[in-house]
Amino acid sequence: MSPDIRDEAVEMWFGPQHVSAHGWAAKLTVVGDFIVECDPHAGYFHRSAEKVLEFRTFKQGPLVLERMCMLEAFLAEYPYISAVEQIAGVEVPERAKVLRTIMMEASRIHSLQFWWGQFSAELGLFAMTLWPWVDREFFLDTFEELTGSRHAVSFSTPGGVRYDFNEKVLKKLDRALQRLEQHLPKFKDMLLRSPTFRMRTKGIALFSYEDALRWGLSGPNIKACGVPMDLRKDWPDLNLAYDLVDWEVPVVDNPDHPGQSDAYDRMVQRFLEVETSINIIRQLLPQIPEGPIVDPKARAKTNRLPAGEAYGRVEGTRGVTTVWLKTTEKAQTPYRAKIRGPCFASYYSLKHLVPGSTFADFIVVFGSLDPYPGWWDR
Amino acid sequence: MAPPTTPSEVAAELMRRHPGVEAHKIEGQTAELTVPAGMIRDVVKSVDELLPHALPESMFGVDLQDDRYQLIYYFWSHDIRVLVQLRVELEGEEPEIDSVCDIFPGLEWHERETHEMFGIGFRGHPDLRPLLLPDELVGKYPLRKSFQPDRRRLAESGLPQPRPRRQEANKE
Repeated sequence: MSPDIRDEAVEMWFGPQHVSAHGWAAKLTVVGDFIVECDPHAGYFHRSAEKVLEFRTFKQGPLVLERMCMLEAFLAEYPYISAVEQIAGVEVPERAKVLRTIMMEASRIHSLQFWWGQFSAELGLFAMTLWPWVDREFFLDTFEELTGSRHAVSFSTPGGVRYDFNEKVLKKLDRALQRLEQHLPKFKDMLLRSPTFRMRTKGIALFSYEDALRWGLSGPNIKACGVPMDLRKDWPDLNLAYDLVDWEVPVVDNPDHPGQSDAYDRMVQRFLEVETSINIIRQLLPQIPEGPIVDPKARAKTNRLPAGEAYGRVEGTRGVTTVWLKTTEKAQTPYRAKIRGPCFASYYSLKHLVPGSTFADFIVVFGSLDPYPGWWDR
Repeated sequence: MAPPTTPSEVAAELMRRHPGVEAHKIEGQTAELTVPAGMIRDVVKSVDELLPHALPESMFGVDLQDDRYQLIYYFWSHDIRVLVQLRVELEGEEPEIDSVCDIFPGLEWHERETHEMFGIGFRGHPDLRPLLLPDELVGKYPLRKSFQPDRRRLAESGLPQPRPRRQEANKE
Protein backbone atom coordinates (compact mmCIF):
# COMPACT_ATOMS: atom_id res chain seq x y z
CA MET A 1 0.00 0.00 0.00
CA SER A 2 1.47 3.35 -0.99
CA PRO A 3 1.49 6.02 1.74
CA ASP A 4 -0.99 8.38 0.06
CA ILE A 5 -3.60 5.62 -0.18
CA ARG A 6 -3.10 5.07 3.55
CA ASP A 7 -4.27 8.65 4.17
CA GLU A 8 -7.64 7.92 2.60
CA ALA A 9 -8.06 4.57 4.29
CA VAL A 10 -10.84 4.01 6.78
CA GLU A 11 -10.82 1.22 9.30
CA MET A 12 -14.14 -0.45 9.94
CA TRP A 13 -15.40 -3.53 11.71
CA PHE A 14 -17.48 -6.24 10.09
CA GLY A 15 -19.17 -7.99 13.00
CA PRO A 16 -19.57 -9.26 15.63
CA GLN A 17 -23.09 -7.76 15.61
CA HIS A 18 -23.64 -8.07 11.87
CA VAL A 19 -26.32 -10.59 10.88
CA SER A 20 -23.91 -12.54 8.69
CA ALA A 21 -21.14 -12.39 11.28
CA HIS A 22 -22.42 -14.99 13.68
CA GLY A 23 -19.65 -15.17 16.22
CA TRP A 24 -16.75 -13.53 14.45
CA ALA A 25 -15.49 -10.11 13.45
CA ALA A 26 -13.00 -8.81 10.93
CA LYS A 27 -11.30 -5.44 10.89
CA LEU A 28 -11.32 -4.12 7.34
CA THR A 29 -9.23 -1.28 6.01
CA VAL A 30 -11.22 0.30 3.23
CA VAL A 31 -10.25 2.81 0.54
CA GLY A 32 -13.40 4.00 -1.19
CA ASP A 33 -15.28 0.82 -2.02
CA PHE A 34 -12.23 -1.44 -1.95
CA ILE A 35 -10.83 -3.44 0.91
CA VAL A 36 -7.04 -3.14 1.13
CA GLU A 37 -6.46 -5.05 4.35
CA CYS A 38 -8.39 -7.66 6.28
CA ASP A 39 -7.60 -8.67 9.84
CA PRO A 40 -9.90 -11.49 10.94
CA HIS A 41 -10.38 -11.73 14.72
CA ALA A 42 -11.08 -15.03 16.44
CA GLY A 43 -12.06 -15.97 19.96
CA TYR A 44 -15.72 -14.99 20.25
CA PHE A 45 -16.74 -18.67 20.56
CA HIS A 46 -13.72 -19.92 22.48
CA ARG A 47 -14.79 -22.59 24.99
CA SER A 48 -11.29 -24.02 25.67
CA ALA A 49 -12.35 -27.42 24.35
CA GLU A 50 -8.79 -28.76 24.36
CA LYS A 51 -8.40 -28.05 28.07
CA VAL A 52 -11.89 -29.38 28.80
CA LEU A 53 -11.02 -32.65 27.04
CA GLU A 54 -8.12 -33.20 29.48
CA PHE A 55 -10.71 -33.55 32.25
CA ARG A 56 -13.21 -35.78 30.40
CA THR A 57 -13.07 -39.55 30.02
CA PHE A 58 -12.70 -41.15 26.61
CA LYS A 59 -16.45 -41.75 26.42
CA GLN A 60 -17.32 -38.19 27.41
CA GLY A 61 -14.83 -36.69 24.93
CA PRO A 62 -16.95 -37.15 21.78
CA LEU A 63 -19.70 -35.06 23.40
CA VAL A 64 -17.32 -32.13 23.60
CA LEU A 65 -16.23 -32.65 20.01
CA GLU A 66 -19.71 -32.68 18.50
CA ARG A 67 -20.32 -29.29 20.07
CA MET A 68 -17.54 -27.85 17.91
CA CYS A 69 -19.88 -27.94 14.92
CA MET A 70 -23.49 -28.88 15.56
CA LEU A 71 -24.28 -28.95 11.84
CA GLU A 72 -22.01 -31.93 11.22
CA ALA A 73 -22.20 -33.51 14.67
CA PHE A 74 -21.83 -37.09 13.40
CA LEU A 75 -18.65 -36.15 11.57
CA ALA A 76 -17.24 -33.85 14.22
CA GLU A 77 -17.20 -36.47 16.95
CA TYR A 78 -15.57 -39.13 14.80
CA PRO A 79 -11.86 -38.11 14.72
CA TYR A 80 -11.69 -38.28 18.53
CA ILE A 81 -13.31 -41.72 18.55
CA SER A 82 -10.98 -42.86 15.79
CA ALA A 83 -7.94 -41.76 17.82
CA VAL A 84 -9.22 -43.55 20.95
CA GLU A 85 -9.88 -46.73 18.95
CA GLN A 86 -6.42 -46.59 17.42
CA ILE A 87 -4.75 -46.38 20.84
CA ALA A 88 -6.95 -49.15 22.27
CA GLY A 89 -6.40 -51.21 19.10
CA VAL A 90 -10.05 -52.15 18.69
CA GLU A 91 -12.18 -52.87 15.66
CA VAL A 92 -15.92 -52.19 15.81
CA PRO A 93 -18.65 -54.63 14.60
CA GLU A 94 -19.46 -54.59 10.89
CA ARG A 95 -22.95 -53.23 11.49
CA ALA A 96 -21.58 -50.29 13.46
CA LYS A 97 -19.17 -49.44 10.62
CA VAL A 98 -21.99 -49.18 8.10
CA LEU A 99 -24.31 -47.27 10.43
CA ARG A 100 -21.53 -44.80 11.21
CA THR A 101 -20.80 -44.21 7.55
CA ILE A 102 -24.46 -43.71 6.67
CA MET A 103 -25.02 -41.21 9.46
CA MET A 104 -21.80 -39.35 8.69
CA GLU A 105 -22.93 -38.87 5.12
CA ALA A 106 -26.43 -37.83 6.26
CA SER A 107 -24.75 -35.30 8.53
CA ARG A 108 -22.73 -33.98 5.60
CA ILE A 109 -25.90 -33.50 3.55
CA HIS A 110 -27.58 -31.73 6.45
CA SER A 111 -24.65 -29.40 6.93
CA LEU A 112 -24.48 -28.54 3.23
CA GLN A 113 -28.21 -27.87 3.09
CA PHE A 114 -27.77 -25.42 5.92
CA TRP A 115 -24.92 -23.77 4.07
CA TRP A 116 -26.89 -23.34 0.82
CA GLY A 117 -29.49 -21.48 2.79
CA GLN A 118 -27.04 -19.37 4.73
CA PHE A 119 -24.97 -18.43 1.70
CA SER A 120 -28.04 -17.54 -0.36
CA ALA A 121 -29.38 -15.40 2.47
CA GLU A 122 -26.08 -13.56 2.58
CA LEU A 123 -26.50 -12.84 -1.13
CA GLY A 124 -30.11 -11.76 -0.64
CA LEU A 125 -31.78 -14.78 -2.31
CA PHE A 126 -34.21 -15.60 0.47
CA ALA A 127 -36.34 -18.17 -1.38
CA MET A 128 -33.28 -20.40 -1.57
CA THR A 129 -32.75 -19.95 2.17
CA LEU A 130 -36.07 -21.33 3.25
CA TRP A 131 -36.57 -24.17 0.77
CA PRO A 132 -33.47 -26.21 1.62
CA TRP A 133 -34.10 -25.56 5.30
CA VAL A 134 -37.52 -27.18 5.00
CA ASP A 135 -35.85 -30.28 3.54
CA ARG A 136 -33.25 -30.11 6.26
CA GLU A 137 -36.01 -30.60 8.84
CA PHE A 138 -36.57 -34.11 7.47
CA PHE A 139 -32.95 -35.01 8.21
CA LEU A 140 -33.27 -33.50 11.68
CA ASP A 141 -36.37 -35.64 12.24
CA THR A 142 -34.33 -38.71 11.28
CA PHE A 143 -31.62 -37.74 13.75
CA GLU A 144 -34.26 -37.22 16.42
CA GLU A 145 -35.87 -40.59 15.75
CA LEU A 146 -32.47 -42.29 15.91
CA THR A 147 -30.81 -40.57 18.87
CA GLY A 148 -33.52 -38.56 20.59
CA SER A 149 -31.74 -35.34 19.82
CA ARG A 150 -31.79 -33.13 16.76
CA HIS A 151 -28.33 -31.64 17.02
CA ALA A 152 -26.24 -33.00 19.92
CA VAL A 153 -26.54 -36.55 18.69
CA SER A 154 -23.64 -38.42 20.42
CA PHE A 155 -24.18 -41.37 18.11
CA SER A 156 -20.74 -42.98 17.75
CA THR A 157 -18.90 -44.18 20.80
CA PRO A 158 -15.54 -45.94 21.17
CA GLY A 159 -16.31 -49.56 20.24
CA GLY A 160 -19.41 -49.02 18.11
CA VAL A 161 -22.51 -46.87 18.01
CA ARG A 162 -25.08 -46.15 20.70
CA TYR A 163 -28.35 -46.38 18.79
CA ASP A 164 -29.61 -48.95 16.32
CA PHE A 165 -31.63 -48.37 13.16
CA ASN A 166 -35.24 -49.49 13.24
CA GLU A 167 -38.06 -49.40 10.71
CA LYS A 168 -39.08 -45.87 11.68
CA VAL A 169 -35.56 -44.48 11.26
CA LEU A 170 -35.15 -46.14 7.88
CA LYS A 171 -38.50 -44.79 6.75
CA LYS A 172 -37.68 -41.25 7.85
CA LEU A 173 -34.21 -41.37 6.29
CA ASP A 174 -35.68 -42.63 3.03
CA ARG A 175 -38.27 -39.87 3.06
CA ALA A 176 -35.61 -37.21 3.67
CA LEU A 177 -33.48 -38.56 0.83
CA GLN A 178 -36.41 -38.83 -1.56
CA ARG A 179 -37.46 -35.28 -0.88
CA LEU A 180 -33.94 -34.02 -1.45
CA GLU A 181 -33.52 -36.03 -4.67
CA GLN A 182 -36.77 -34.55 -5.91
CA HIS A 183 -35.82 -30.98 -5.06
CA LEU A 184 -32.15 -31.00 -5.99
CA PRO A 185 -32.65 -30.17 -9.71
CA LYS A 186 -34.95 -27.32 -8.70
CA PHE A 187 -32.39 -25.88 -6.27
CA LYS A 188 -29.69 -26.12 -8.92
CA ASP A 189 -31.89 -24.22 -11.35
CA MET A 190 -32.78 -21.60 -8.78
CA LEU A 191 -29.21 -20.83 -7.88
CA LEU A 192 -26.87 -21.73 -10.67
CA ARG A 193 -29.07 -20.26 -13.42
CA SER A 194 -30.07 -17.21 -11.45
CA PRO A 195 -28.49 -14.14 -13.10
CA THR A 196 -28.16 -12.40 -9.72
CA PHE A 197 -26.33 -15.35 -8.22
CA ARG A 198 -24.00 -15.67 -11.21
CA MET A 199 -23.17 -11.98 -11.18
CA ARG A 200 -22.44 -12.02 -7.46
CA THR A 201 -20.24 -15.13 -7.51
CA LYS A 202 -18.51 -15.55 -10.90
CA GLY A 203 -14.87 -14.56 -10.66
CA ILE A 204 -15.13 -13.62 -6.99
CA ALA A 205 -12.53 -14.96 -4.55
CA LEU A 206 -10.58 -16.74 -7.26
CA PHE A 207 -7.61 -18.74 -5.98
CA SER A 208 -5.37 -21.48 -7.27
CA TYR A 209 -5.11 -24.71 -5.37
CA GLU A 210 -1.34 -24.32 -4.91
CA ASP A 211 -1.95 -21.10 -2.96
CA ALA A 212 -4.93 -22.51 -1.10
CA LEU A 213 -2.96 -25.54 0.09
CA ARG A 214 -0.23 -23.34 1.53
CA TRP A 215 -2.83 -21.42 3.54
CA GLY A 216 -4.12 -24.78 4.82
CA LEU A 217 -7.44 -24.93 2.97
CA SER A 218 -8.91 -28.38 2.31
CA GLY A 219 -12.15 -30.15 1.49
CA PRO A 220 -14.61 -28.74 -1.08
CA ASN A 221 -12.54 -25.55 -1.41
CA ILE A 222 -9.69 -27.59 -2.91
CA LYS A 223 -11.90 -30.06 -4.77
CA ALA A 224 -13.56 -27.13 -6.56
CA CYS A 225 -10.14 -26.44 -8.15
CA GLY A 226 -10.25 -29.86 -9.83
CA VAL A 227 -8.07 -31.78 -7.35
CA PRO A 228 -9.71 -34.91 -5.87
CA MET A 229 -8.19 -34.46 -2.41
CA ASP A 230 -10.49 -36.42 -0.12
CA LEU A 231 -9.57 -38.39 3.00
CA ARG A 232 -12.45 -40.79 2.44
CA LYS A 233 -10.36 -42.20 -0.45
CA ASP A 234 -6.82 -41.20 0.56
CA TRP A 235 -6.86 -42.34 4.18
CA PRO A 236 -8.64 -45.70 4.42
CA ASP A 237 -10.25 -46.11 7.82
CA LEU A 238 -10.69 -49.58 9.27
CA ASN A 239 -13.76 -48.58 11.26
CA LEU A 240 -15.74 -47.00 8.42
CA ALA A 241 -17.39 -48.67 5.45
CA TYR A 242 -16.40 -46.55 2.42
CA ASP A 243 -14.74 -49.61 0.85
CA LEU A 244 -18.18 -51.24 0.41
CA VAL A 245 -19.26 -48.44 -1.90
CA ASP A 246 -18.42 -47.73 -5.51
CA TRP A 247 -17.97 -43.98 -5.75
CA GLU A 248 -15.71 -41.28 -7.14
CA VAL A 249 -14.52 -38.08 -5.48
CA PRO A 250 -16.53 -35.26 -7.07
CA VAL A 251 -14.53 -32.38 -8.52
CA VAL A 252 -15.35 -29.25 -10.48
CA ASP A 253 -12.93 -28.48 -13.27
CA ASN A 254 -13.89 -25.15 -14.72
CA PRO A 255 -12.31 -24.77 -18.21
CA ASP A 256 -12.31 -20.96 -17.81
CA HIS A 257 -9.64 -21.19 -15.11
CA PRO A 258 -8.15 -24.68 -14.69
CA GLY A 259 -6.60 -25.37 -11.29
CA GLN A 260 -8.47 -22.43 -9.78
CA SER A 261 -11.88 -21.94 -8.27
CA ASP A 262 -14.19 -19.00 -7.65
CA ALA A 263 -17.25 -18.68 -5.42
CA TYR A 264 -19.49 -20.08 -8.17
CA ASP A 265 -17.35 -23.23 -8.61
CA ARG A 266 -17.45 -23.85 -4.89
CA MET A 267 -21.24 -23.68 -4.95
CA VAL A 268 -21.34 -26.21 -7.81
CA GLN A 269 -18.88 -28.38 -5.87
CA ARG A 270 -21.17 -28.44 -2.86
CA PHE A 271 -24.07 -29.59 -5.02
CA LEU A 272 -21.86 -32.45 -6.26
CA GLU A 273 -20.89 -33.29 -2.67
CA VAL A 274 -24.55 -33.75 -1.77
CA GLU A 275 -25.13 -35.97 -4.82
CA THR A 276 -22.13 -38.12 -3.85
CA SER A 277 -23.37 -38.44 -0.27
CA ILE A 278 -26.82 -39.49 -1.46
CA ASN A 279 -25.18 -42.07 -3.72
CA ILE A 280 -23.09 -43.45 -0.84
CA ILE A 281 -26.09 -43.71 1.50
CA ARG A 282 -28.27 -45.29 -1.20
CA GLN A 283 -25.60 -47.95 -1.82
CA LEU A 284 -25.03 -48.65 1.87
CA LEU A 285 -28.66 -48.91 2.98
CA PRO A 286 -29.28 -52.39 1.45
CA GLN A 287 -25.86 -53.56 2.72
CA ILE A 288 -26.43 -53.06 6.46
CA PRO A 289 -25.33 -56.39 7.97
CA GLU A 290 -27.07 -58.06 10.90
CA GLY A 291 -25.29 -58.21 14.22
CA PRO A 292 -24.46 -56.21 17.32
CA ILE A 293 -23.95 -52.44 17.10
CA VAL A 294 -21.38 -52.25 19.84
CA ASP A 295 -18.64 -54.58 21.00
CA PRO A 296 -18.79 -54.54 24.84
CA LYS A 297 -15.24 -55.88 25.14
CA ALA A 298 -13.88 -53.18 22.86
CA ARG A 299 -15.88 -50.55 24.74
CA ALA A 300 -14.55 -51.78 28.08
CA LYS A 301 -11.01 -51.53 26.72
CA THR A 302 -11.46 -47.77 26.31
CA ASN A 303 -12.18 -47.20 30.01
CA ARG A 304 -8.46 -46.94 30.61
CA LEU A 305 -6.06 -46.64 27.71
CA PRO A 306 -2.38 -47.63 27.55
CA ALA A 307 0.25 -44.94 26.96
CA GLY A 308 0.23 -43.91 23.33
CA GLU A 309 -0.39 -41.34 20.66
CA ALA A 310 -2.83 -41.41 17.80
CA TYR A 311 -4.04 -39.12 15.06
CA GLY A 312 -7.68 -39.46 14.06
CA ARG A 313 -8.54 -37.91 10.69
CA VAL A 314 -11.79 -37.63 8.83
CA GLU A 315 -13.00 -35.75 5.76
CA GLY A 316 -15.51 -33.36 7.28
CA THR A 317 -18.02 -31.30 5.34
CA ARG A 318 -15.60 -28.40 5.38
CA GLY A 319 -12.31 -30.29 4.98
CA VAL A 320 -9.68 -32.21 6.90
CA THR A 321 -10.83 -32.57 10.51
CA THR A 322 -8.38 -34.16 12.91
CA VAL A 323 -7.80 -34.90 16.57
CA TRP A 324 -4.36 -35.72 17.96
CA LEU A 325 -4.45 -37.62 21.23
CA LYS A 326 -1.73 -38.44 23.73
CA THR A 327 -2.42 -40.73 26.66
CA THR A 328 -0.38 -41.88 29.62
CA GLU A 329 -0.40 -45.42 31.06
CA LYS A 330 -3.79 -46.47 32.53
CA ALA A 331 -5.16 -42.97 32.06
CA GLN A 332 -8.88 -42.30 32.17
CA THR A 333 -8.52 -38.96 30.42
CA PRO A 334 -6.25 -37.75 27.59
CA TYR A 335 -2.96 -36.12 28.46
CA ARG A 336 -3.35 -33.76 25.53
CA ALA A 337 -5.94 -33.49 22.81
CA LYS A 338 -5.50 -31.21 19.83
CA ILE A 339 -8.42 -30.42 17.57
CA ARG A 340 -7.75 -29.28 14.03
CA GLY A 341 -10.88 -27.73 12.64
CA PRO A 342 -10.96 -27.21 8.86
CA CYS A 343 -12.28 -23.65 9.22
CA PHE A 344 -9.28 -22.47 11.21
CA ALA A 345 -7.54 -22.29 7.83
CA SER A 346 -10.50 -20.93 5.86
CA TYR A 347 -10.95 -18.09 8.32
CA TYR A 348 -7.26 -17.29 8.39
CA SER A 349 -7.05 -17.28 4.59
CA LEU A 350 -9.43 -14.30 4.44
CA LYS A 351 -6.32 -12.28 5.16
CA HIS A 352 -4.99 -13.27 1.72
CA LEU A 353 -8.25 -13.55 -0.18
CA VAL A 354 -10.12 -10.41 0.77
CA PRO A 355 -7.72 -7.55 -0.10
CA GLY A 356 -8.60 -6.22 -3.52
CA SER A 357 -12.27 -7.12 -3.42
CA THR A 358 -15.05 -4.61 -2.91
CA PHE A 359 -16.81 -4.23 0.39
CA ALA A 360 -20.04 -5.68 -1.01
CA ASP A 361 -18.19 -8.82 -2.08
CA PHE A 362 -16.62 -9.42 1.31
CA ILE A 363 -19.45 -11.61 2.50
CA VAL A 364 -19.37 -13.60 -0.76
CA VAL A 365 -15.68 -14.34 -0.23
CA PHE A 366 -16.32 -15.34 3.36
CA GLY A 367 -19.46 -17.37 2.71
CA SER A 368 -18.05 -19.27 -0.25
CA LEU A 369 -15.47 -20.94 2.03
CA ASP A 370 -18.23 -22.37 4.28
CA PRO A 371 -16.62 -21.37 7.57
CA TYR A 372 -18.11 -22.21 10.95
CA PRO A 373 -16.86 -20.26 14.00
CA GLY A 374 -16.94 -23.29 16.32
CA TRP A 375 -14.15 -24.87 14.30
CA TRP A 376 -11.64 -22.09 14.66
CA ASP A 377 -12.47 -20.97 18.19
CA ARG A 378 -12.94 -24.47 19.67
CA MET B 1 17.06 -39.22 -8.58
CA ALA B 2 13.32 -39.84 -8.63
CA PRO B 3 11.37 -37.86 -6.01
CA PRO B 4 10.37 -39.93 -2.96
CA THR B 5 6.89 -41.43 -3.01
CA THR B 6 6.63 -43.48 0.19
CA PRO B 7 6.89 -42.44 3.87
CA SER B 8 10.16 -44.34 4.31
CA GLU B 9 11.70 -42.72 1.20
CA VAL B 10 10.67 -39.26 2.41
CA ALA B 11 12.13 -39.99 5.86
CA ALA B 12 15.36 -41.38 4.37
CA GLU B 13 15.82 -38.33 2.13
CA LEU B 14 15.16 -35.91 5.01
CA MET B 15 17.69 -37.74 7.21
CA ARG B 16 20.25 -37.74 4.37
CA ARG B 17 19.89 -34.00 3.82
CA HIS B 18 19.86 -33.09 7.51
CA PRO B 19 22.11 -35.19 9.76
CA GLY B 20 20.59 -34.92 13.24
CA VAL B 21 17.05 -35.67 12.10
CA GLU B 22 15.98 -39.09 13.40
CA ALA B 23 13.16 -41.37 12.37
CA HIS B 24 10.83 -41.94 15.30
CA LYS B 25 8.32 -44.30 13.71
CA ILE B 26 7.35 -45.15 10.15
CA GLU B 27 4.05 -46.91 9.86
CA GLY B 28 1.37 -47.11 7.17
CA GLN B 29 1.14 -43.73 5.44
CA THR B 30 2.87 -41.81 8.22
CA ALA B 31 6.53 -40.90 8.76
CA GLU B 32 7.33 -39.53 12.22
CA LEU B 33 10.62 -37.70 12.60
CA THR B 34 12.40 -36.00 15.48
CA VAL B 35 14.06 -32.71 14.53
CA PRO B 36 16.58 -30.70 16.61
CA ALA B 37 15.09 -27.29 17.46
CA GLY B 38 17.76 -25.32 15.59
CA MET B 39 17.11 -27.09 12.29
CA ILE B 40 13.37 -26.65 12.03
CA ARG B 41 13.46 -24.02 9.28
CA ASP B 42 15.79 -26.07 7.06
CA VAL B 43 13.78 -29.24 7.58
CA VAL B 44 10.44 -27.54 6.85
CA LYS B 45 11.98 -26.07 3.67
CA SER B 46 13.02 -29.59 2.65
CA VAL B 47 9.55 -30.92 3.43
CA ASP B 48 8.20 -28.20 1.15
CA GLU B 49 10.53 -29.39 -1.65
CA LEU B 50 10.06 -33.13 -1.10
CA LEU B 51 6.31 -33.36 -0.55
CA PRO B 52 4.47 -32.38 -3.72
CA HIS B 53 1.68 -29.89 -2.89
CA ALA B 54 2.10 -30.16 0.86
CA LEU B 55 -0.79 -29.10 3.08
CA PRO B 56 0.36 -27.68 6.45
CA GLU B 57 -2.27 -29.65 8.30
CA SER B 58 -1.63 -28.88 11.92
CA MET B 59 0.93 -27.58 14.37
CA PHE B 60 0.63 -27.62 18.15
CA GLY B 61 2.45 -27.83 21.45
CA VAL B 62 2.48 -30.45 24.17
CA ASP B 63 3.50 -29.68 27.75
CA LEU B 64 5.64 -32.53 29.11
CA GLN B 65 6.04 -30.78 32.49
CA ASP B 66 9.28 -29.73 34.26
CA ASP B 67 9.83 -27.02 31.61
CA ARG B 68 9.93 -29.53 28.75
CA TYR B 69 7.76 -29.02 25.70
CA GLN B 70 7.17 -30.69 22.38
CA LEU B 71 6.08 -29.06 19.17
CA ILE B 72 4.45 -31.26 16.56
CA TYR B 73 4.03 -30.31 12.89
CA TYR B 74 1.90 -32.27 10.44
CA PHE B 75 2.19 -32.07 6.66
CA TRP B 76 0.00 -34.02 4.27
CA SER B 77 0.55 -34.61 0.59
CA HIS B 78 -2.46 -35.77 -1.38
CA ASP B 79 -0.28 -36.43 -4.45
CA ILE B 80 1.70 -39.24 -2.81
CA ARG B 81 -0.64 -39.89 0.17
CA VAL B 82 2.09 -39.36 2.76
CA LEU B 83 1.66 -37.75 6.17
CA VAL B 84 4.84 -36.33 7.71
CA GLN B 85 5.04 -35.59 11.42
CA LEU B 86 7.93 -33.47 12.70
CA ARG B 87 8.59 -33.42 16.43
CA VAL B 88 10.74 -30.83 18.18
CA GLU B 89 11.82 -31.03 21.82
CA LEU B 90 12.10 -27.70 23.64
CA GLU B 91 13.33 -26.86 27.12
CA GLY B 92 13.23 -23.80 29.34
CA GLU B 93 10.74 -21.59 31.13
CA GLU B 94 9.71 -19.72 28.00
CA PRO B 95 11.47 -21.59 25.16
CA GLU B 96 11.91 -20.11 21.70
CA ILE B 97 12.05 -21.53 18.20
CA ASP B 98 12.25 -20.09 14.69
CA SER B 99 8.94 -19.37 13.03
CA VAL B 100 8.19 -21.20 9.78
CA CYS B 101 5.13 -19.16 8.84
CA ASP B 102 6.93 -17.46 5.94
CA ILE B 103 7.45 -20.90 4.33
CA PHE B 104 3.89 -22.12 4.98
CA PRO B 105 1.63 -19.11 5.67
CA GLY B 106 -1.06 -21.51 6.91
CA LEU B 107 0.97 -22.10 10.06
CA GLU B 108 0.87 -18.44 11.12
CA TRP B 109 -2.23 -18.77 13.28
CA HIS B 110 -1.18 -22.17 14.60
CA GLU B 111 2.02 -20.57 15.90
CA ARG B 112 0.09 -17.63 17.28
CA GLU B 113 -2.19 -19.99 19.20
CA THR B 114 0.72 -22.09 20.51
CA HIS B 115 2.37 -18.90 21.70
CA GLU B 116 -0.61 -17.75 23.77
CA MET B 117 -1.48 -21.22 25.08
CA PHE B 118 2.00 -22.50 25.98
CA GLY B 119 4.23 -19.44 26.16
CA ILE B 120 6.53 -20.68 23.42
CA GLY B 121 8.18 -17.85 21.49
CA PHE B 122 8.43 -17.87 17.69
CA ARG B 123 11.38 -15.85 16.38
CA GLY B 124 10.53 -13.92 13.23
CA HIS B 125 6.75 -14.29 13.57
CA PRO B 126 5.10 -11.10 12.26
CA ASP B 127 2.13 -11.01 14.59
CA LEU B 128 2.06 -12.68 18.02
CA ARG B 129 -1.05 -10.94 19.38
CA PRO B 130 -3.32 -13.24 21.40
CA LEU B 131 -5.71 -15.09 19.09
CA LEU B 132 -8.39 -16.79 21.17
CA LEU B 133 -7.86 -15.75 24.78
CA PRO B 134 -9.56 -12.88 26.60
CA ASP B 135 -7.25 -10.17 27.95
CA GLU B 136 -7.46 -11.53 31.50
CA LEU B 137 -5.81 -14.79 30.51
CA VAL B 138 -2.98 -13.40 28.41
CA GLY B 139 0.34 -14.56 29.81
CA LYS B 140 -1.27 -17.32 31.94
CA TYR B 141 -0.65 -20.01 29.29
CA PRO B 142 -3.80 -22.05 29.98
CA LEU B 143 -2.80 -25.22 28.14
CA ARG B 144 0.26 -25.70 30.35
CA LYS B 145 -0.23 -28.49 32.87
CA SER B 146 0.59 -26.09 35.71
CA PHE B 147 -2.56 -24.07 34.92
CA GLN B 148 -5.36 -25.39 37.12
CA PRO B 149 -8.76 -24.49 35.72
CA ASP B 150 -10.73 -25.05 38.91
CA ARG B 151 -12.69 -22.65 41.07
CA ARG B 152 -9.81 -21.97 43.44
CA ARG B 153 -7.84 -20.40 40.60
CA LEU B 154 -10.68 -18.25 39.28
CA ALA B 155 -9.71 -15.21 41.33
CA GLU B 156 -6.24 -15.32 39.83
CA SER B 157 -7.60 -15.31 36.28
CA GLY B 158 -9.44 -12.05 36.84
CA LEU B 159 -12.68 -13.54 35.43
CA PRO B 160 -15.96 -12.77 37.23
CA GLN B 161 -16.58 -14.99 40.27
CA PRO B 162 -19.48 -17.46 40.24
CA ARG B 163 -22.18 -16.95 42.84
CA PRO B 164 -21.74 -19.13 45.96
CA ARG B 165 -23.55 -22.46 45.93
CA ARG B 166 -26.86 -22.66 47.74
CA GLN B 167 -25.72 -24.89 50.65
CA GLU B 168 -22.82 -22.59 51.33
CA ALA B 169 -25.13 -19.60 51.36
CA ASN B 170 -27.49 -21.40 53.75
CA LYS B 171 -24.69 -22.14 56.20
CA GLU B 172 -24.05 -18.47 56.62
